[in-house]
Amino acid sequence: MARNVFSVPIFFIVFRETLEAAIIISVLLGLVEQIIHQDPSLIPGAVAPTIGAATPEKEVERSPLEKAESSASNSDNAVLASAPVLTSGEEPQVDTKRLLRKMRIYIFSGAFLGLFIALAIGAAFIAVWFTQASDLWAKSEDLWEGIFELIASLIIFVMGVSMLKMDRAKAKWRVKLQRAFAGHTHDKGARTGKYVLFILPFITVLREGMEAVVFVGGVSLGQPATAIPIAAIVGLVCGLICGYLIYAFASRTTLTVFMVVMTNFLLLIGAGLFSKAVWSFQSNAFNHLLGGEIDDAGGDGPGSFDVRGNVWHLNCCNPENNFDSDGWTIFSAIFGWTNSATLGSVLSYVFYWIAVVAVLIYLKFKEGRTTLLGKESSMGRRRRERKEAAELPQASS
Amino acid sequence: MKWSPLALLSIASPALAAVHEIWWNITYVEDANPDGLQPRRVIGVNGTWPPPPIDVTTNDTLIVHATNSIDEPSSLHHHGMFFNSTSWMDGAVGVSQCGIPKGSTFDYVVPINSSGQWGTYWVHAHASGQYVDGLRAPVVIHPEKEAHSYDEEFTVVLGDWYHDQHADLLKEFISIANPGGAEPVPDSALVYFAQGGSYLGPISGTNPDPVTSKVGFNENATLPFQPGKTYRLRIVNTSAFAAFFFWIDGHDMRIIEVDGTDVAESPIDLISITVAQRYSVLVTARNDTSANWAIHANMDTDMFDTVPDALNPNVTSSITYDSSASLTDLGTVDAYHDVDDLSLVPLEVIPLEPADRTIELEVLFDTMDDGTNHAMFNMITYNSPRVPSIMSEMSLGDNATVAGAYGQNAFVIDHLTTFDIVLKNGDAGKHPFHLHGHKMQLVGRSQDYTSDDPTLNPPLNESQANPMRRDTVQVPSMNSVTLRVVADNPGVWFFHCHIEWHLEVGLAVTFVEAPLIAQQRNNIPEFMYDQCKALGQPTSGNAAGHASATDLSGLASGPFPQNNGWHGKGIGAMFGCVLTAVIGMSTVTWYALGGHITEEEMEHEAREHQEAKERRGKFFGLFKARA
Repeated sequence: MARNVFSVPIFFIVFRETLEAAIIISVLLGLVEQIIHQDPSLIPGAVAPTIGAATPEKEVERSPLEKAESSASNSDNAVLASAPVLTSGEEPQVDTKRLLRKMRIYIFSGAFLGLFIALAIGAAFIAVWFTQASDLWAKSEDLWEGIFELIASLIIFVMGVSMLKMDRAKAKWRVKLQRAFAGHTHDKGARTGKYVLFILPFITVLREGMEAVVFVGGVSLGQPATAIPIAAIVGLVCGLICGYLIYAFASRTTLTVFMVVMTNFLLLIGAGLFSKAVWSFQSNAFNHLLGGEIDDAGGDGPGSFDVRGNVWHLNCCNPENNFDSDGWTIFSAIFGWTNSATLGSVLSYVFYWIAVVAVLIYLKFKEGRTTLLGKESSMGRRRRERKEAAELPQASS
Repeated sequence: MKWSPLALLSIASPALAAVHEIWWNITYVEDANPDGLQPRRVIGVNGTWPPPPIDVTTNDTLIVHATNSIDEPSSLHHHGMFFNSTSWMDGAVGVSQCGIPKGSTFDYVVPINSSGQWGTYWVHAHASGQYVDGLRAPVVIHPEKEAHSYDEEFTVVLGDWYHDQHADLLKEFISIANPGGAEPVPDSALVYFAQGGSYLGPISGTNPDPVTSKVGFNENATLPFQPGKTYRLRIVNTSAFAAFFFWIDGHDMRIIEVDGTDVAESPIDLISITVAQRYSVLVTARNDTSANWAIHANMDTDMFDTVPDALNPNVTSSITYDSSASLTDLGTVDAYHDVDDLSLVPLEVIPLEPADRTIELEVLFDTMDDGTNHAMFNMITYNSPRVPSIMSEMSLGDNATVAGAYGQNAFVIDHLTTFDIVLKNGDAGKHPFHLHGHKMQLVGRSQDYTSDDPTLNPPLNESQANPMRRDTVQVPSMNSVTLRVVADNPGVWFFHCHIEWHLEVGLAVTFVEAPLIAQQRNNIPEFMYDQCKALGQPTSGNAAGHASATDLSGLASGPFPQNNGWHGKGIGAMFGCVLTAVIGMSTVTWYALGGHITEEEMEHEAREHQEAKERRGKFFGLFKARA
């Protein structure tokens, strides 16, 4: 296993984005089920007669809709055609099942189309990047590596922190989707409403996919192209499996624990990358100092590194050794290991974690889930007030 | 003055000894441009460059009145001369003297009449790298009767040439930016000729640079040959760094002298001569005058880190039979080879005495703990002591026999001990090693001193009736050479790599010979102490200037080999990294757990958030919201 085969950061990024997309879809599926059972009027295409005003418009607009949807899935036509029947409210039991099936097909076809497009764009992006642009920085490799590692570490920082909020993703997306349905049904929902169940997962997955592409692109800048596909595919598969497991079985607590573990991994990688970014900048400066004879540096031992600010140097265990790095490459990818640590690389590693700690404390405070020095954030106060308000009537009664 | 009785004694000695006195005012010479490529400031003598060649006979006592007129302390070392029991005249700054302060004069007494030495030597500054800047000249000592017969002789001076000042190059060399220790590569090479105490002028009709117009260099220089005559060429390599391969098109050579040792004639087609070595060869002139012939002096570029495009490492001069004839230049040779100096046979027979003591010296170069590249003998890099070692030897009394008193790289040798220096070159380059004040018997060489194979690493042959002797020996990479020396010269003697760059990074040791006898023979002239004082240097006590055998406080030492691995600092830093990572991950856990919010709260807040967003008019979603 070398870093040429499996890029750990890319695995985690793809995994995370896939997981989020899976959660969204699972929320959608759950939502659809819920709505059909409780309030079918919210479902576009299954609009109850109460919003009958929309019906004529819908009839008018049908044909272009069919055209659009047939491009996604042929089977949709039949399903779609049956949709107006449902609105009449006949045979609710059978129709609910059929409707549900239809909705699921919408959702999955949208999701997979989105995934497909995202993957296509991602693949194209990476292909262009590595075939056309990779020569740009061949000359001062360390400088570029440092820049890319810096970008990647910052991306991972943001991702890692946001990932911790993933247990809110279900709630967030439920609200978002409900609002989306509501907005469309209340407004000109009948007009575009039929798309929603297709478009929403499509857009969502595409959005997460594009995000992944951008992140993967950002992180992969410093990675060899061969390291991306396997990592990305494995991340995708793992994300789908975990997403399904979460949808099917897991409680919120399990999800939280899962997220904690994943986030810690991500942040370990991020801190390592940040440290390596600083290391690379220093290495680049040292190579510039040496002038044209960059070959002088490299390898381990005396002469391969700048003694100024060196904190430890082992004449072995070099993760940059492409021929005989053994496990040190993996060690380096996950924990930012280097056999030649500098003051800068050590401090940057430490400061990355300090930044994580600071941000998380602030966020938890801001979200009103903890108090800082006895103070309470506005969110926390409002929540407490709501809670108290909710409890008051009970107490009085 | 203490030295004058000696000088007077020499003058008064019954043989028809002349005192050959010369006055050298060491000066800068601006805009010297011997290679015609770039004018530069050089260090010359009496306002001229190159410094005049010295040509004396064994009857003479040579006295060189050296006045320093340059901006830094200087000195003159007569390379290869014994200075028996007067090692303070040897000229090695830090070992046998303090530098000559600016404006002062050092009178070097070279007791040629008593040293029993003749042949080809040279004189050069032994203070920092001043000889690299040009302070170097050949010395020829004629015996009353030469062992070999020839009609005429010339001295061939070879040298590498830098366009930058030595001090600037040294700064680049000993630098954190040069961890590999790539030596400054010469900018060109020089070959010029001397005869009878003066240099040969340029070929008439050439247009030499005005500052050095009296001397012909390279293709502007030529040796006038007459058909049928036999010539002795004394070849001196005065380089800072480069070894040379020397040959003459259309002429054969026979080696007759090596570093002042006359040897039986030994034919050779090409002389490889490393820094500070000398060879005399006999060349018999051709009988036809139809052509002139090229003399080749090619620098050995193996040692160069790079060979810049602008560098021509191969210079040519010529032998002229007829100035109207054309020059025949046969160009390159098939392969270079070294002179097998072990096979040469000295004319004066000195058998091998059994060794009483063996001193092994292993050469290593590495990037040191300060990030610069230094050389080491046995893992120790040499630093000049504060007190010149000879003055320590004279002033320490009984403590003078303690090697540690002279700093880290000193060996104390008892009087008349026969000792072996086993020099192991663990470096990737070849190095010329020079012992001051002695000639060394070459007992044996090994092609790989780590090998068990007797063909590569043969045992010493102790029964040699007449091994080769010389004062500067080349040792290729991973080779070793065993050098047998008789400690018959009380004093302190420098043993070092003669590549100036390597001496500057500490490839040196000192041999402190017979300290107690040296003290009896102490005759250090008073002016030497005055000159040390003028430079603010102590003149007594151990290397650090203390009257102690062991207290070396204040003595410069290092840099030292890197001690990489896990040490306190690294372990502490690693612990800090792990600790912060653990704290960070704990914070992640703390953040995610606790402060539980219900799903309803989340949805409520998400809704609030969405509404707030819409109010701000920002739409992150794809659907346009209608407020």
